[in-house]
Amino acid sequence: MTARLPRISPRSTSARLALAVAASFMIAFVLLDAGVYYAVSALLTKDAREVVRSESADLVAIQRKAGRDGLIAELRARAAASDDPDMLYALADPDGRIVAGNYARIPDHPAGARWIEFHDHSVDDIPRVVAGLQLLPDGDVLLTGLRMRSEDGFLALMLRIAIAALVVAALLGALAGWLTTRWVARRLHGLDATAARVGAGELGLRAQVDDSDDAFDRLAHRFNAMLDRIEDLLGGVRHATDHIAHDLRTPLTRLRHRLEQLRDRAEYEGSAATQTELEAAIAETDQLLQSFGALLRLARVEAQAPTPEAEPVDLHALAQDALELYAPIAGARDVALHDAVRATRVRGDADQLFQMLVNLLDNAVKFAPASSRVDVRLGEHEGRAVLEVADHGPGIPVEERERVFDRFVRLERHRGSPGSGLGLSLVRAIVLRHGGRVELLDNAPGLRVRIGFPSA
Amino acid sequence: MRILLVEDDSHTAGFIAKGLKEDGHSVDLADNGKDGLFLATTETYDAVVLDRMLPQLDGLTVLRTLRGAGNRTPTLLLTALGDVEHRVEGLRAGADDYLVKPFAYAELSARLDSLARRSGAADGEPTRLRVGDLDLDLLKRVAVRDGKRIELQPREFRLLEYLMRQAGRVVTRTMLLEAVWDYHFDPQTNVIDVHISRLRQKIDHDFDTPLLHTVRGAGYRLGE
Repeated sequence: MTARLPRISPRSTSARLALAVAASFMIAFVLLDAGVYYAVSALLTKDAREVVRSESADLVAIQRKAGRDGLIAELRARAAASDDPDMLYALADPDGRIVAGNYARIPDHPAGARWIEFHDHSVDDIPRVVAGLQLLPDGDVLLTGLRMRSEDGFLALMLRIAIAALVVAALLGALAGWLTTRWVARRLHGLDATAARVGAGELGLRAQVDDSDDAFDRLAHRFNAMLDRIEDLLGGVRHATDHIAHDLRTPLTRLRHRLEQLRDRAEYEGSAATQTELEAAIAETDQLLQSFGALLRLARVEAQAPTPEAEPVDLHALAQDALELYAPIAGARDVALHDAVRATRVRGDADQLFQMLVNLLDNAVKFAPASSRVDVRLGEHEGRAVLEVADHGPGIPVEERERVFDRFVRLERHRGSPGSGLGLSLVRAIVLRHGGRVELLDNAPGLRVRIGFPSA
Repeated sequence: MRILLVEDDSHTAGFIAKGLKEDGHSVDLADNGKDGLFLATTETYDAVVLDRMLPQLDGLTVLRTLRGAGNRTPTLLLTALGDVEHRVEGLRAGADDYLVKPFAYAELSARLDSLARRSGAADGEPTRLRVGDLDLDLLKRVAVRDGKRIELQPREFRLLEYLMRQAGRVVTRTMLLEAVWDYHFDPQTNVIDVHISRLRQKIDHDFDTPLLHTVRGAGYRLGE
């Protein structure tokens, strides 16, 4: 089964989840990168200072040993042929004039500063320079510096790599978020679809479990346990009513027998009033027995296995027989039965399907106003046998339409009319057993019952 | 008639036996399958009323054994299970009719009469039925009363035919539904009564003596 995935809109939970995942990825990466960048940068600066410090110490030692001239000679020598072209030297006399070195000036700096950083404008790439200042005993100032070319190049490369990685991470984050969202949506979609169908009456349905024991699987398990419980409770109620009906039938039958015997005695003794009373009592008992009978019939139909393998039944012939059966009773109320029935076959039980037709017609004729019409339509539609019975009676309000299929539910305004409140329950049980669907629609005014079966 | 009643519930048995005796039948009672089978094979009866659920030997087995031994006594099977499958099962085992509990005594009585009559009148299908001055020609499909032809719809004809075959006997609504409509179902309203009154309109309206009578608490009876 391919689950239809919901579209991702910016306000949906799934889209928010995807964005949150992507954003978290980015923030984590930026923090990590910044940390690494500053750590590496600090380390490189420290190393550079170490180099500068040791150079400076060398030069100070030379100055101490060979005097100012010795230092100047050494600096000139180094300026001419340096081991490291990025090392900068400058010796300034107390007036600030450069005496020797390969760098032409001492940049402005706060008095007494030991370390300064500046950019070397004497070369084209204007590198950063880390330099140490050493005040010599004769008042000269010695600047020893290191151009941070390779270090800064390394940092710049690192930054470029980090930015590239950040872009990749953001894309990956968005992708991961999207995939997670899709996965979550699919898992939830299964549950959602199951819940919707169970809500529509397919109580036997269960959510799919994969025994992965993840949160969704556990949710599905709990969901199924909940449905089991609901089904158990409903089954319990049904069983209770069925048992009551079954167990009360025998004493009721005895009661009826006794009443019959009493009536016969009254008839024999010629007491007409008592006889009439007893007739009424027998009629009431019969009605009770009939309700119980209907309840048990309903229970049996519900307990029967579906009928996909049964012989095809000519629904068309059944409908015509049912229409013929009801023609006189409809005629007595001047209700016209209009039929548009075409050859249609359904697999199943002819007696039950006839019962279904009879119950539908009975309702329609009962609630149809005098001199109105009841339409019975039957035909094939998109591979299904579709039966419609429509009257122009009071109809059933939308909010009551599911309820009327329940046992003993009779709408308030129908309380006065005869009926057990089991007619539509039986219709639905028969339809479900035959793999069909029953819908109650508005006939504006009135009720239109539409039943669809898989056609044979 | 001599009737064998095999029923284990003493109340139901007493109630049926009492009714049958009042109707002038003689009744032998067995309260289990074994005794029932013994009586049915050793004595001669006009009809057997057999409960489906019995101690020691269930009703279907009793029936199959009887039929297997060539005993064709008309048998009415009683049951608390009204399923179509059970009915078919019962009829296959050799039952002549099938009655679901609870039932009114009138229903049992009417069916039993019909059964006994069916087995008695096995000598060729009649082509004409006559009750009083009402004639039904089964070949020409024509009904005539006192020389006047009566126009009947096909279903009305079947209804009248059935009533005339059962002339003088009570026919219940359920029997009519089963015989004339061929379906086993629970009529929601007294839909059959309207058919009867239409038929009555045609056969009784213009004549002095009514033929189609309502038997209160039971059903209908055709006769003078």
